[in-house]
Amino acid sequence: MRKGKKKLLTIGTSLFLTASLFAGCSSNSTNTKEASSESTTNSNSNSNTSTPAPEASEATGIDTSKKVELQFYMLGDAPKDLKLIQDEVNKMALEDLNATVKFNFTTWTDWESKYKLLLSSGQPIDLIFTAEWTNYQSYAVKGAFLPLDDLLPKAAPKLQAYVPQDFWEAVKVDKKIYTVPAIWKEYVNDGIAYREDLRKKYNLPKPESLETLEQYLDGIRKNEPDMLPLADTEVSHVDSIRQMTTKTVNTNDKVPYGLSIMYDTPRDVTSYWGSPQHLEDLKMFRSWQEKGYFMKNMLNIKDSGSDIFAAGKAAAILGSENPNRFGDAVVKVKSLHPDWELGYSPYPNMKGFSSPVHPIHNGFAVPRSSKNPERALAFYEKLVTDKRYNWLTQYGIEGKHFEIEDGKYYKMLGDAQSNGFTREGMNGWAWRNPEFMLFDKSYQAVLDMFDEMDKIAKPNIFQGFGEDWTSYQAEKAALLQVEKQYLYPLNDGMVKDVEAGLKLFMEKAKKAGLDKIQAEYTKQWLQYLDDANIK
Amino acid sequence: MMAYLIIMIFSLLCLFPFLLIISGSLTANESIIRDGFHLIPKVFSLEGYEMVFIFPTQLIKAYGVTIFVTVIGTLVGLFLITMAGYVLQRKDFKYRNHLSFFIYFTTLFGGGLVPWYIMLTTYFGLADTYAVLILPGLMTPFLIILMKNFIKSAIPEELFESAKIDGANDFRIYYSIVLKLAMPGIATVGLFLALTYWNDWFMSSLFINDVSMYQLQYYLYNTINTMMFVSQMATGTGVTLGRDIPTESTKMAMAIVVTGPIIFLYPFVQRYFVKGLTIGAVKG
Repeated sequence: MRKGKKKLLTIGTSLFLTASLFAGCSSNSTNTKEASSESTTNSNSNSNTSTPAPEASEATGIDTSKKVELQFYMLGDAPKDLKLIQDEVNKMALEDLNATVKFNFTTWTDWESKYKLLLSSGQPIDLIFTAEWTNYQSYAVKGAFLPLDDLLPKAAPKLQAYVPQDFWEAVKVDKKIYTVPAIWKEYVNDGIAYREDLRKKYNLPKPESLETLEQYLDGIRKNEPDMLPLADTEVSHVDSIRQMTTKTVNTNDKVPYGLSIMYDTPRDVTSYWGSPQHLEDLKMFRSWQEKGYFMKNMLNIKDSGSDIFAAGKAAAILGSENPNRFGDAVVKVKSLHPDWELGYSPYPNMKGFSSPVHPIHNGFAVPRSSKNPERALAFYEKLVTDKRYNWLTQYGIEGKHFEIEDGKYYKMLGDAQSNGFTREGMNGWAWRNPEFMLFDKSYQAVLDMFDEMDKIAKPNIFQGFGEDWTSYQAEKAALLQVEKQYLYPLNDGMVKDVEAGLKLFMEKAKKAGLDKIQAEYTKQWLQYLDDANIK
Repeated sequence: MMAYLIIMIFSLLCLFPFLLIISGSLTANESIIRDGFHLIPKVFSLEGYEMVFIFPTQLIKAYGVTIFVTVIGTLVGLFLITMAGYVLQRKDFKYRNHLSFFIYFTTLFGGGLVPWYIMLTTYFGLADTYAVLILPGLMTPFLIILMKNFIKSAIPEELFESAKIDGANDFRIYYSIVLKLAMPGIATVGLFLALTYWNDWFMSSLFINDVSMYQLQYYLYNTINTMMFVSQMATGTGVTLGRDIPTESTKMAMAIVVTGPIIFLYPFVQRYFVKGLTIGAVKG
């Protein structure tokens, strides 16, 4: 105990002394003219030098005299050759910023609870991934991240200029910036993926509306009795049908708690659950189950629907293919079944508009526990704006992990199993930079889809909304249980008497506190619309 | 005779799922998804094993970590637990009840996950060390109480007294008498400890960031479940399934590679387990 205290004291003293040394240095080297002419006060308190340190190799206004190690956290699994990449990056970072980086990955196992622990434990972390689906807004409100407004111009001016102003505006929480948004515009809407070769073979219509979809499924049922028409498991088809038949405000994540909000009239919030439309949809699912479009036991299937589809067991899937995933599926299927052909009908085409992801969707924040926020931002600027860093961390080492084909295409060396760093192997979605991005040749199809979406794009007004469920947490959990027990079987057409089933579900849901949840959610949503000036 | 027959049939039934796994690991992945599992592979293929052994170093490393942690953890844990149990049952130790309660109390009330995590990472700085895999499991309150009661019932009080009269000090009593006579109990507790360490993946999951330090179970768990976790995420997250997701046959092959050696080892150590457990059960 005493020994530890003593050690702390020595470390503390030596730190204090070195700090004062640098302070002394810089105050000696600064000329008084600067001090008097620059009346701009730096509101930053975590640096003892208000002037650029002479050692700084860049024109950034941060002190890089002390060597630091940055702790960088990302979701998902580490690529196999992470060490190699880390060493390469550190060679450069040491030279540029006198810093090294340790890349840490949470793995996908229980990532949500790990994410929470990382942010609540106060262990030093300098950069961490954020997204609306990691609850960026609520963490920011709780004060998990440092506000970046004052840090950016000082530590990462290039990055600040590079990211468009409206992106910065869009990620603000309580009028402050807490994360650096990604710049690349992508679409993650769902769509129907189906077997084009079978469609042609039996001369069926393209599934581009509810009507044609039913005709297509019916045709498959009649001509391919051994094949499942739909590969969807659990209840993944339900939101897709909503996307297909209404102009709902969301492009993918559903409006929760059975609420219905339309894009053109966002202030008008009604309940979809229990409505005549809801009953009609459920009756349709029942008829689909009777006609054998669904799997018999889809509630208990553990395989993913896209696997079942890719293995040729089913002819279409409604609820798990966004353009990116569909692009992957095409490549996968081509290698295994060259004779197949896949088709894709994105729901935005049926709705008449699409929405790209909100800037909040991919970002990197500096947690409050960071010991070197300035250096962290400066490093992140390098990741985004410096091609050497960017390519290394997105595609790996040229000649070892990838090569460039025809001067502009990405080509993986070896296959996914033997390659130690596949494309975007570090899950670097947040530091994608359109200027440096390399795509696989087969990805052109996805990019074409994006271009199509661009033509009918409207801003995403749903994703930026951060729900705060603290006031109805218990009800929320209870409602989810009720949903699983009473609504899921209805969604899968397992219940004979749909009307009675729906009535029972509504009763149970009301008991669980549905009304309170809906009212609270609506209140927050309207508040958000006001704040964001959305009419 | 009849009983033997029933037991034989039952044992064969227990083998059934294992045979399915073996057959699954030798089947082409496509065929598993299309036709389901069969006892005889429909489409024979070794692709599952190929994928497991493309990066064998990781697997071997994970094996090494688990074996190391299990051996060290069990030995050190047994040493500490038997000492604690012995001291806590000595009648001439004044505060034994207070201390016992103190230990027992932790099983009723815990600080919860977050404080525990904060303590281990920020105060003790144990993240990314082998120590974090071993230390937290060393002193399990339940096992200490079990040990204490076992020593109490297995070794008569008078033995200690006579040993004392013969001039043995406390340590001498501990390793010459207690350790010898409490062997069945030690075997039981040792088995519990070893199994806990062997099957542990939670500590790796929370505290280890370095892939080369994963315990075997976590390495396996993580590889197999990545697919599940990612597919649970809505398409709206935009998380793409990297193309090196393990397939069904790979999962099965992995299960075989991981459990195989243990299964071969089991018949040799099994008799000790049975003995320890039964004695522990009667006297525990």
